[in-house]
Amino acid sequence: MTATRPTFGPVNDGRVQDEPQSGRAVADDSIVSVQGLSKRFGELVAVDGLTFSLEPGSVTGFLGPNGAGKTTTLRLLLGLAEPTTGEALVFGRHYRELDEPTRRVGAVLESNDFHPGRSGRDHLRILALAAEIPPSRIDEVLDLVELEGVAARRVKTYSLGMRQRLGLAGALLGDPELLVLDEPANGLDPAGVHWLRIFLRGFADSGGTVLISSHVLAEVAQTVDGVLIIDRGRLVASARLDELAGRGQTLEDAYLALTVRGAS
Amino acid sequence: MKAQFRAELLKQRSTRTGLGLFAGMLGLVLLVVLLHGFGLAAEGLEGSSDQLMVLGRGEFLAVLFAALLGALSVTNEIRHGTIRPTFLVSPWRGRVVAAKVWASALIGAGFGLAACALAAGVGTAALRLRGIDVELDGGDYALLLAGGTAAAALWAAIGVGLGAIVRDQVPTLIGICAWLLFVEGLLVGDVAGVAENVGRFAPGALGQALSGQDPDTLLAPALGAPLLALYATAAAAAGWIATTRRGVA
Repeated sequence: MTATRPTFGPVNDGRVQDEPQSGRAVADDSIVSVQGLSKRFGELVAVDGLTFSLEPGSVTGFLGPNGAGKTTTLRLLLGLAEPTTGEALVFGRHYRELDEPTRRVGAVLESNDFHPGRSGRDHLRILALAAEIPPSRIDEVLDLVELEGVAARRVKTYSLGMRQRLGLAGALLGDPELLVLDEPANGLDPAGVHWLRIFLRGFADSGGTVLISSHVLAEVAQTVDGVLIIDRGRLVASARLDELAGRGQTLEDAYLALTVRGAS
Repeated sequence: MKAQFRAELLKQRSTRTGLGLFAGMLGLVLLVVLLHGFGLAAEGLEGSSDQLMVLGRGEFLAVLFAALLGALSVTNEIRHGTIRPTFLVSPWRGRVVAAKVWASALIGAGFGLAACALAAGVGTAALRLRGIDVELDGGDYALLLAGGTAAAALWAAIGVGLGAIVRDQVPTLIGICAWLLFVEGLLVGDVAGVAENVGRFAPGALGQALSGQDPDTLLAPALGAPLLALYATAAAAAGWIATTRRGVA
């Protein structure tokens, strides 16, 4: 796998990407705005009064141990579940209220959300049809994630790294402004992690915003500009990496101090 | 909605599931019609009602496979997790369910037409080969094809609704098979009063009524069609509500 620097061209249909959407007034200019977000499943409180926002052009690590509530938060943000209280907005709206969600937000929640008997290209063709994205964009994203050579093969023949990249290709179809990735480095080999890191850096440098969750600190430490650390559904820290460095703290110090149960 | 419909059709075309169901259905139609056509005693095949019963096996199997196809269009997405990218691209879940209903009904109609045409062709040939007079006229054949096509399309919609309500693949498919292959048989069976009062209003019996089978027990096609459409609408609406109200894991 070569680490080429990705480019992020506009979708070839002449639409302006960052035209403000009509309708409900945008509360603030945050790309993601989460306010007092809670989600209960019976007795279990998965997310507990979470508040944070994301600014454009940054890569933010959404960190916490397994079961901390990261995935639930992302599902609430993307309209796959309803919060018990509070709200999670993208571009000032509920995800479902976005006119063309795929052109604003690209998301990958699981690394294996494919029909094993379907080719990678057909998977993308289906998403492009539903989102009314021109077919020419499919070749662009396949090229971007370096899967053009295997696109005709059925997904069951793909390695985990290839599946991760196919998921990413689907998220990039609409050339979104925000990428939301849940544990994207899970199961990637070192070369794959390196590729992903360079890819995300390029995405943010070209103006995109990334929210990337992980329970493995090392995967994101070199990629992110800032971190949100949650534990047992609550936000326990929110900081820019340079702020942590200014306090003489490494990200690892902060993370472990905040999340290791029973630590002194 | 049009975009979602086209995406649903491509989902069906891009795996071997639909083709496998189609081939399995045609194989079973062939087997059942040949077994009945050649295996039953000649005196049991002389009346038009008996002959319709043999040729109607196409409709029966088309309904079963169309229902499975419709259910799989939902449960396969949940099983393989593609429901997540589907709802991320189309967060308007009602539109996705509606697209699945229309796409499955369209393909189900194709299943119905193919199965009924095969059953009619093979069944008629079997009767002729045995020297049995074919008592069916053009109207009977037309009703068999049109009714079977409509019944399979409506049952595909019922399958989508059931899949969206139950969500788990195995219970959904077992439930559909158990209902059509076993429970419906009991309801139109020999227990006194059950067929007249309950059985002929059951959705499987309505499917058979649509193609003009067993007119002594089942409803007339003109009455069966709107009733089965009502079942399909209710199942699709229940699936729509279940899908829009519940979260996605």
